[in-house]
Formats: sequence, structure tokens, C-alpha cells
Amino acid sequence: MATVKSPTQHPLAGTVMPGADMVVQVLADEGVDTVFGYSGGAILPTYDAIFKFNAAHAKNEQIRLIVPANEQGAGFMAAGYARASGKVGVFVVTSGPGATNCVTPIRDCMADSIPVVLICGQVPRAAIGSDAFQEAPVFNIMSACAKHVFLLKNENEIEETIRTAFHIARSGRPGPVVIDLPKDIQLYQAPFKGKGLLNFRGFEKRQAEADASRITPEQSAEFFKQLGNSDRPLIYAGGGVINSNASDELRAFAKEFQIPVVTTLMGLGAIDTTNELSLSMLGMHGAAFANYAVEDCDMIIAVGSRFDDRVAGKVKEFAPKARYIAHMDVDAAELGKVKSFTWSHAGDAGVTLKDLTDAGKKLKFRKDYKAWVAHVQALKKNHAMSYKKETDLIQPQYVIEALNEITKGKAIVSTGVGQHQMWAAQFFDFHEPRTWLTSGSMGTMGFGLPAAIGAQFAKPDHIVIDVDGDGSLRMNLGELETATTYDCPVKVLLLNNLGDGMVRQWQQTYYENRFSGSDKSLHRKDFVKCAQSDGYEFAERLDDKSKVKETLERFVKHKGPAFLEVMIDRDAHVYPMVGPGMGYKEMLTGPYIKPRKPELAEIKKADDQVDLSQTPELF
Amino acid sequence: MKHTISVLVENHFGVLARVSGLFSARGFNIDSLCVGETEDPSASRMTVVVEGDDRVLEQIVKQLQKLVEVIEVTDLTKESFVERELVMIKVAVNGNGRTPIIEVVNVFRAKVVDINPDSMIVEATGSEGKIRAFIDMMRPFGIKELVRTGRIAMARSLKNNG
Repeated sequence: MATVKSPTQHPLAGTVMPGADMVVQVLADEGVDTVFGYSGGAILPTYDAIFKFNAAHAKNEQIRLIVPANEQGAGFMAAGYARASGKVGVFVVTSGPGATNCVTPIRDCMADSIPVVLICGQVPRAAIGSDAFQEAPVFNIMSACAKHVFLLKNENEIEETIRTAFHIARSGRPGPVVIDLPKDIQLYQAPFKGKGLLNFRGFEKRQAEADASRITPEQSAEFFKQLGNSDRPLIYAGGGVINSNASDELRAFAKEFQIPVVTTLMGLGAIDTTNELSLSMLGMHGAAFANYAVEDCDMIIAVGSRFDDRVAGKVKEFAPKARYIAHMDVDAAELGKVKSFTWSHAGDAGVTLKDLTDAGKKLKFRKDYKAWVAHVQALKKNHAMSYKKETDLIQPQYVIEALNEITKGKAIVSTGVGQHQMWAAQFFDFHEPRTWLTSGSMGTMGFGLPAAIGAQFAKPDHIVIDVDGDGSLRMNLGELETATTYDCPVKVLLLNNLGDGMVRQWQQTYYENRFSGSDKSLHRKDFVKCAQSDGYEFAERLDDKSKVKETLERFVKHKGPAFLEVMIDRDAHVYPMVGPGMGYKEMLTGPYIKPRKPELAEIKKADDQVDLSQTPELF
Repeated sequence: MKHTISVLVENHFGVLARVSGLFSARGFNIDSLCVGETEDPSASRMTVVVEGDDRVLEQIVKQLQKLVEVIEVTDLTKESFVERELVMIKVAVNGNGRTPIIEVVNVFRAKVVDINPDSMIVEATGSEGKIRAFIDMMRPFGIKELVRTGRIAMARSLKNNG
């Protein structure tokens, strides 16, 4: 080991080492404490380097290596780690199938703007393109999915490439960066430099401009002019607020000017959902009161949100009374992409909101929105979330409510995709950002369990609960064992309705009850036995409504990993629902939420017999 | 409408795939695409000609600007610019001999670049309209083979020149 030569120099600068050691050293320098991944031929040197690194370092300086059942699991663990902590998640896999198994998590991270770095082994440079064993064109495949991809061909740019990957993953709108790392590069011996980045002129210039981007006095004056002309402004906050850690700034802005807030699925936790200004989630399965507020508002202030089709299914009818639309996002390409604006700013959400708050104070902006706030609070009260209560069948919403009560809304919750995901979004309280981890844009079933494991490694002192469905859990069931292997105390709550409930709900609503491919009642899996065989000391099945609270208490309090399967009412539906491609005025509130205009939510027969004549435009 | 988009990129492998991928992912067929080094060998210039909805193309230009290896993007359609393309045509020499072909070549200020007993290769440079007209004039002689470079374009220095 080289000694420290100068305070600015890396202690290992000048030390000759193989490329794989450089990779691991840069990971350590970047503050990586956990790497998720699966080894194999083309990445063996890097796995060996991790082993050697850990052998040479004290426990608290080591890089923990978590091995999943499948590389996709590693990807979602890294994503869960990143979502819960705000740090870059890292996963390291081998070439060919190892890399292609990571396509889904990479695309998922791209779609939800999650910073991760994936290092894939690749066959030696000389063998690339020869259809070698476990070779896949990772550069091409990932190019279409990731924020950026490197194929490391130059042996003199190993450390610079890894450092730059972290820089790109974090900067601007965060996203996944893939490094395709040929085996001979991992073995190449050279002196470690300990510094340096690759130079991308355009990217650096744009990034510097974006970082320096501030609201001008003219922009603030215009913003407050529009706000002043509005009587019913509404903040529409998205995942960008979470990603930029701007939740304090959002809360301060909303509080200062007394503007109510709706959040997207990805924005849950940006404002405490129990705050009096919070109207919870809007959109396809948003709260009725949130969607009514969107219908009623005369100004939309969009922050880190992008009017996607689950929010604005029918763009023209979204916020039909809004005279002003202010849109702020770190990604200039989002401004005006879907909905045109009357005011916009490309920049970091936190900086922008703080600038606006300060400018408003300086301008002594005051407008009384009391009547509007009272209006939305009445909406909240009159059209509160509800569900079937007179029944012996366990209602999923009841389970979530009980769990929320027990955890006091303090748990980190991850989900799969489908009905259970929406129930969790609707019935949990989210007090803080980064406590809600869900695959929002891609909608990847199988996300919940590995994401919970990753989050638990990032936040060892938190209760992390995977609220999952039977379909979603099956997708990455192998990761049940990963939790027990590492004694990772995640709580897996399976809401089992013997099928793909959301698909079933759509089939009931739009396909005349033809349950093509969505019925799993003949599947024989005993999930509890699965969990037991994977070493879960707490593995129970619950089908008695009277025991829900007591069982959940024990489940949450269990020290290690715990598994609880709850047999829920198969016919429970997610409401409200704004059909695909429809406007909010066509929202169905179902039989248990009071609609504003009763005729719109009229249900013909039972809960499951809703018949809409509209054809869905989108799935 | 037709757009001519000029993209200055880092001269690295794979950049072409990323740029063209943004078009192909949206189902756009690129009419022509030219790539070459610039005055700075570490940068390449791509000229992409593509037909499509203005709003979608505006979005593509914004997405191009997000690519790490893209230095600068200009939609020349909004500016005054000069465009050129080169075409080579192997044209059949039939009973009427070479003279009628050479007459057309001269009118277009094109060039004969190869001669064979039964055919000749002619080349022409110009804007899309000129190239189209030249091809139309060659067609009656019998085009045996045709190859085009695709368009390159450059913005004029003075915006009001065009």
C-alpha cells in the first residue's frame, strides 16, 4: 500500500492493481456500503476484488455483498436501497443472462428516475461479437433502456468510467447507468490514479446550466401574478419532489401560501398525507376528494410531476377549470410535453420552491384562500375513502388500515403491482418522503420483495414491509430466501386473492367477466410452507377477520424476517377508478365512497358488475 | 413536415445507435442520416432528415439534448440553412449513345465519373430538389444502380440570408 503523498492525493494513487480492484476501490470512494449481485464467469475478477477488499478492511469499511436468487432481484434490491436512502444503488452481475435479467430493473429505474449503477461482466474484448459463451450485446440492449451505457473498451479509463457513471446517475433527473466491463479489462494491471472523470462537454455544460438555474425576478413576478389571479390553486407534486429531497421546501411553500397539495403515486410522502393541506393521491385510483379538487381548481402548480396517463388519462379534460398551469421540473423535456403551461421553470424542485417562497415573501404576496381550503376540506370529509365493512370476509383495505395504525405510519412500505399496490397507496399514511417504494411508471410485478430487502439494508433501523399480491410475489418468490439468508428482518404481507386482482377487476368492468389468464384459484402453492421452507420463523396464514389486528401486531413485532398471508375478499375492488383514457368527471367511486354526483357512480348490480360502455383507450 | 436536425456529438462508438434509437423507439423512419468528423476530430456531426409531427419532433430534439454524448442539437428547419447531397447513378448507354446523357449532366452541372461500353456513372451534388430532378431526368435512359449520400446541412451565419 502506498502512503499518503499529499492531502489532495488518493492514498492509493500510484499503486499498481488490476482493473477489478480499481472498480471496487472507486465504489468504496463513492461511499458504497452494499452491493447486490450474482457472480459468474465474466465478473469473477470483480467478485474476487470485493472479497479481497473486505478481507483487508475493518467491518465498518467493508462493502457488503448481497446475493439474490435472480439478477432481477439484485436490480430491485439496488433500486429499493436507492429509493429508501437517496443514495446510488449498485448491482454487479455477470455477462449474458446475468445482464439481460437486469433489463427490467434498469428500465424500471429509468421510468421512475431512480439512480442506480449496474456493472455487468462482459466477455474479453477480443471475444466481443464472436457469439462467445454468455455473451449478449449489453450496450445495444441497455442503450434503449438506461440513462447512459458505457462499454469499457479503453483500459486507461477504468476508474474514470466508474466515477462518471455515479456522477451521471445522480445528476439532473436521476437514472440508471450501466457499465459493460470486459473480463480482460478487469484483469488489466495499471497504476491507480485515484481521481478523474470522463469529459462530456455538452452534458457538463447543460448540467452546469441546470445546476445554476434560478428563478429570475421577472419569473417570480409572473408566477405570483398568476397565483394572485387564482382563487383555487392546487399543487400537484410528483416523484421529482422525493428524488430531489425537496419535501421540506414543498411543505414550506404550501404552508406559506396556504395552497392544498395533491401528490402522484410517486410523490406520496412529499407532504405528510395527514397534513390539513394534503389531499393525498390523485389519478386513476386517486382519492375522490383529490380528483374533485383537480376538477375544481383554477390553477395547477405542477412540481416534479409529468401529467402521465395515469394522472391525466384525457389530457384536455384534466383540470378543466385551470386558467393557469405552472410547471416546474428538473427535466426541461417534460415542460409542455403533455399539457401546455402558462408558466414554467426547468430546475431543481427544492431550489425552485425555495426561491419562489422567498420571492413571495419579498413581494409580500398575500391572498386569502381560506374559502378554497375549506372547500377541499369539506370534499375530504364528504368523500372520504371507504370500503365494505359489513362482511366476514377480510377486506384488504381493513388490513392496511390496521397495519397503518400499528406502525403509526412510520414503516417503509414497498409493493408489487396491482390492486394491493393501490390499496396500500390509498390506506397508509405517509408522513415522510422515501417511505413509499413502488414501481410507478413501469408497473413491474415482483418489485416489492426485493425492493423491501434493498431498503432494509439501507435503513436497518426501520420497519420495512412488503405489501404484496399473490401474483406479484410469485414473480420474485426466490427472494424470500434471500431475506432469511442475510437475516434481513423484512415483513412480507401477502394479500392473497387467488389471482391477478387488478386484471380481474378490469375484466369485470370492461370484458364481461371473461377471466382470461387471471384466475389462480387452481394454483396449489402453499405460500406459508414456502416461507417456512425458506427459514421464516414467523410464517402464518390468516383468514379470520377477528384476528387481523392481533396477528398483525405479532407480525410487525417479530424480530427477524416475517411472512404473513392474509386471505382477502376476492371481489374487493379498487375505488375510486377513473377509467383509462377517461376524464375525472367519469370517475367511479364504487359502492362505499360517497360520490359528488350520485348518477356518475351508480353501480348496476353488485360491486363487481360495473359495466361501462366505454372502450378503454389504453391499458 | 420534414425536419433537418443537426446533432453535434462526441466522436465515440455507440452514439449513432443512441441517437437513431430515439427515432426508432417512436416508430420514426429516418429519411437520411449522415455522420462525419468535424473541424474538431473529437466531435462528429450528424445530419438527420426525418418526416414527422412537429410536436413529436420537438420532443425528440429535447430528448436528444439529454443524451450524455450529445454536445449540441439544432433543428435547422427553424433556421436558414444550406443543404447538399451527392448522388451517383449508373446509367445505361443504349442505342442513342452517350451524348444525350452528357447533355443532361452538363445542364445539372453534374459530372461523368466512369465510363463503360454499356453504361456510365454520373454524379451530381445539390439540394434535395435538384437531386430529385436529376434522377427524374436520368430515369428514361435506364438507371442500373443508384446511391445517395444522404443530406448534410449547415446553418447560414447570417440568419436573414436565406
